[in-house]
Amino acid sequence: MRTATTSLEIIAPLNLPKKGRWQTISRDFRRNKHVYLMLLPVLLYYLIFHYGPMYGAVIAFEDFNPIKGVFGSTWVGLQNFQDFFSSVYFGRLIFNTVAISVLDLVFGFPAPIILALLINELRWNPFKRLVQTVTYLPHFVSVVVVVGMMVDFFARDGLVNQLFATNVAYMQSAEWFRQLFVGSGIWQHVGWLSIVYLAAIATIDPQLYDAAKVDGADRFRQMWHITIPGILPTVVILLILRMGMLMSVGYEKIILMYNPLTYETADVISTYVFRRGILQADFSFSAAVGLFNSAINFALLIGANRISRRLSGHSLW
Amino acid sequence: MVATALRPRRIRHKESSGERLFGFGTVLFLVALMGVTIYPLIYVLFASLSNAAELTQHRGLLFAPLSFTFEAYRRVLENPLILTGYRNTLFIVIVGTALNVFLTALGAYALSRRNVLLRNPAMFFIVFTMFFSGGLIPTYLLVGQTLHLQNTLWALIIPGAVQTLNLIIMRTAFQGVPVALEEAARIDGANDWTILFRIFLPLSWPVVAVMILFYGVAHWNSFFSALVYIRERDLYPLQLVLREILISSNVQNMATDVSSGDVLAIGETIKYATIIVATLPILLVYPYLQRYFVKGVTIGAIKE
Amino acid sequence: MDRRLDRREFLRVMGISAGAAALAACAPSGAGPAASAAAGASAEPLTLPIVSAPLSLSYWCPMSSNVAATMKTFGEIGAYKELEKRTGIHLSFQHPPLNQEVEQFNLLSASGTYPDVVEFNWLSNAPGGPARFLRDGMIIRLNDHIDKYAPNVKKVLADHPEWRKQIITDEGDIYAFPFIRSDVKLLVSTGLAMRQDWLDKLGLKAPTTLDEWRTVLKAFKERDPNGNGKSDEIPLSTWASSPGSGGGSRGAFSRYSFIGAWGIGQDWYQEKGAVKYGPLQPEFREFLTMMVAWYKEGLIDADVFATTQNTFDAKVTNNLVGAASMQGGNGIGKYAGLMAGKGTFKLVPVQQPTLKAGERPLLGGRDNNYPGQGAAAITSSNKRVVETVKMLDYAYSPEGSLLFNFGIEGTSYTMVNGSPTYTDLVMRDPQIPSAQMISRFARGNFNGPFVQDVRYITQYYELPEQKKALDVWTLPVNDKLLPPITVTQDESKKFATTMSDINTRFDEVFTRVWSGKAPIDEWDGFVKALPGMGINDAIKIQQTALDRYNKRPG
Repeated sequence: MRTATTSLEIIAPLNLPKKGRWQTISRDFRRNKHVYLMLLPVLLYYLIFHYGPMYGAVIAFEDFNPIKGVFGSTWVGLQNFQDFFSSVYFGRLIFNTVAISVLDLVFGFPAPIILALLINELRWNPFKRLVQTVTYLPHFVSVVVVVGMMVDFFARDGLVNQLFATNVAYMQSAEWFRQLFVGSGIWQHVGWLSIVYLAAIATIDPQLYDAAKVDGADRFRQMWHITIPGILPTVVILLILRMGMLMSVGYEKIILMYNPLTYETADVISTYVFRRGILQADFSFSAAVGLFNSAINFALLIGANRISRRLSGHSLW
Repeated sequence: MVATALRPRRIRHKESSGERLFGFGTVLFLVALMGVTIYPLIYVLFASLSNAAELTQHRGLLFAPLSFTFEAYRRVLENPLILTGYRNTLFIVIVGTALNVFLTALGAYALSRRNVLLRNPAMFFIVFTMFFSGGLIPTYLLVGQTLHLQNTLWALIIPGAVQTLNLIIMRTAFQGVPVALEEAARIDGANDWTILFRIFLPLSWPVVAVMILFYGVAHWNSFFSALVYIRERDLYPLQLVLREILISSNVQNMATDVSSGDVLAIGETIKYATIIVATLPILLVYPYLQRYFVKGVTIGAIKE
Repeated sequence: MDRRLDRREFLRVMGISAGAAALAACAPSGAGPAASAAAGASAEPLTLPIVSAPLSLSYWCPMSSNVAATMKTFGEIGAYKELEKRTGIHLSFQHPPLNQEVEQFNLLSASGTYPDVVEFNWLSNAPGGPARFLRDGMIIRLNDHIDKYAPNVKKVLADHPEWRKQIITDEGDIYAFPFIRSDVKLLVSTGLAMRQDWLDKLGLKAPTTLDEWRTVLKAFKERDPNGNGKSDEIPLSTWASSPGSGGGSRGAFSRYSFIGAWGIGQDWYQEKGAVKYGPLQPEFREFLTMMVAWYKEGLIDADVFATTQNTFDAKVTNNLVGAASMQGGNGIGKYAGLMAGKGTFKLVPVQQPTLKAGERPLLGGRDNNYPGQGAAAITSSNKRVVETVKMLDYAYSPEGSLLFNFGIEGTSYTMVNGSPTYTDLVMRDPQIPSAQMISRFARGNFNGPFVQDVRYITQYYELPEQKKALDVWTLPVNDKLLPPITVTQDESKKFATTMSDINTRFDEVFTRVWSGKAPIDEWDGFVKALPGMGINDAIKIQQTALDRYNKRPG
């Protein structure tokens, strides 16, 4: 056990013995030179196109003036952040963002997995492929059309109310917003998202199944002992990444769906920033909010990664 | 070490009643799910073939086109930019996806190697960029001005050469390949390149197919980069062309020209026609990719 | 951040026509540039062509959807082809994708080198205001150039000091060649409309006061004017373009339609030079109370806050809606077209209601003569400023005005009794709506750096109901509207920070009280909380802006 010497190593351990460090490194380079050669273009890509522009993050700490540029604009320190934190709605915005995200995590994350498992259980191949194809179709319909349908279905005199002979104003009720938002999202994307898991299932060695069948395992045991462990690495990694997206609830669909009567549950960080942008196009403000979100997301990711490394052995690093 | 296709050997075993019930329930559930998920596209299809004025009046479910007409498609496909739109998008999809898959495979393989020292720091280096970026203006200045990619299709391909999410998915898949295979190959004297291209990739066709699908569809649907970097309308990719048609036909809705009331509402049906025009090619190509990741024919590896 | 046009700007971009009645009336026809020289003190007369050697200038401006439908760039518009012939200057157009001008403008301003001319809504969409771009050196100050080389626009501004006051900065700098809507008929595109056939069927007259409105709406609700035996009528409705962005509850019932009867505005207005915020006024409570009562009685669409354009269109075309706030073009015109030949459907414009009979409506929605868009500024990258100024000035001359408003004589318009009249080629094409046909030859039906001629809209609005709208909707006195004031960059940030929260709270309380989910006390609570939320700072910011505006050098 060695202690970390840099903060980077706390997060991404190198596991090197202190002595003979240079020798270890040069040996590694020699042994794996092809691997490093492969890695080089990828790292270069990230360096140029992602780290290159990263200086722009300081916009969050400036009063950005496009004509003066990033380095010519006045420094305002934490003013933009304070503007955001001082909003009367700050707490509510955070709560709504997290609430929607967690609801989507609890229901929307497992749904494609379950779908993939169910599709996998089908015996007849043509039907299997039909189900898979049909379920991914709504993914391609634009969100404007999907919300348009929803507004029509859930209107007071719309389909849903007619079906159940009720008169509930779904689209104007804050109590219903999250369910409608998350539910419609699952409906639209579950098929598409299941593709990754189907592919993971497809890479499982079929001989494992044969062996299990010979041992007399029924389909439930096969699923439990073969399929699920087979896709577990994929599931875990995607779950870690999903934790790193907790604060990222986009505004596009919400803007189409919400109205002031549902602000209580529907107004999230991104929609608030959007409305503020109508009053004053303010790069700095949205950059500051974005940085805030990213910092929280990243911290969550690191935490999730660590926990996962301990519990399951799978992790990003 | 060699991957071959096996004819599936059916090992029969007696299904319990619990299993049969489960199977039956699954089918029932999936049929219901299909019914619900196919509806949006059916609606879009029928709406695109409907008379616009009637569509405006219509509320609720749509089970057939209203007064069947191709008017919306005529409007969309007659636009002079449609052909160039398809051409540009095809270029981006083919060249872009090839570049994407190649680089992603390289990176995923490298990052999945267990005994590589820089592995963890490299992962951190890469994943960090998922969270922190410089924003639109610095990126625009870099790509457009410093690299002079402004107003070229390369601006739509190179800045997005690797998507971190896809890289991670592929790495996870590569990590799942049994170590024994790799070791056997090394004993035979293969180097990493051979291992990657002769063993890992053929074994991971499902994931490669998914990569092609994800990257391909992303390129096909992309329009934001084009909005930022493309100036000449001849270089507009398909989505941008469709977006313009949509916007200009919606505003057309606003015209006061009374004599052509039908013509005005056409914006509605054009909206749906553009979705079909954009999605149909994907739907046509999809089955070719699908068979790789919906397990049916057994493509597996025989050890040794 | 997506910067789609907000609803008001969208309305302005739409429809609306007619332009330089003033200009055409002032200068005797056929007098040409010489006449302008006589009027302007020391300005050089404009002679054509402007250059002897070919000159090409780069011109950045938003693409118009009318144009995009049939052409690739503005260079293909008849007016510009003719302009090149007359001036000898070739304009090389650069267009951002439709509706992307704000984002593209930001990128443009960050790029360091600029096209020769940038036409943009400097007033509303330039972050920090036009003064900032002058100060930071992206665009140049035009006062001296106009004085020396632009006799036509100089005359226009001299003849209309009220226009000049709108287009300059607080310091008196002219930063762009403006788009001017000359006549009041060009300034109103939205108002209230009602089913005339329903009124006829029930033997009622169009209401003028709020009480009459209530009577009519009740009759719509109870007496089944759509004749289908069901009580499904929605007496009063509207739709909000993008709920919560300034549309939504603050836009529902579209700017002063009902609240104007009390002589106050929905948010910012002014009374004798003092800036006021509507919700703080006691009259607002009266307005809200009345709306709550109407909503409870079922006189207002129960789904009014969750209605999109599609659902609204469906309700109107299914004969459910009795009255609504809508546009002359994308409202009265559109529905008349959709429902032509289908029963007795007839939507007519009605005036904004008043409190007492016989009064003139106090406040209705109206644009400013200088709406902001279509203003052409000259950038610091421009090396041929004098020629550019002369070229832009041409549009304000009598011939230039005809060119930009009506297009090519003989092709897109002819002179009938001395008045430019659009030809059938433009108005009666079987496939292409007149809006797009006109745009093939001219810019009069959208915007640009010229003075819009009112004779555009009088021809474009072909239906008698639409023409009537021009009279009915321009009735309100409208002396309480705010002129186009500008706020400084710092004030703007503070204002946005303060008003973001206030607007959100307003939207919530307003809709909850209106729809009966909360009692009127919650409104009182909101009003009481306003000072604590910083409304007084916001009022002060607006007030100093208005004071600066009023002090502008004429």
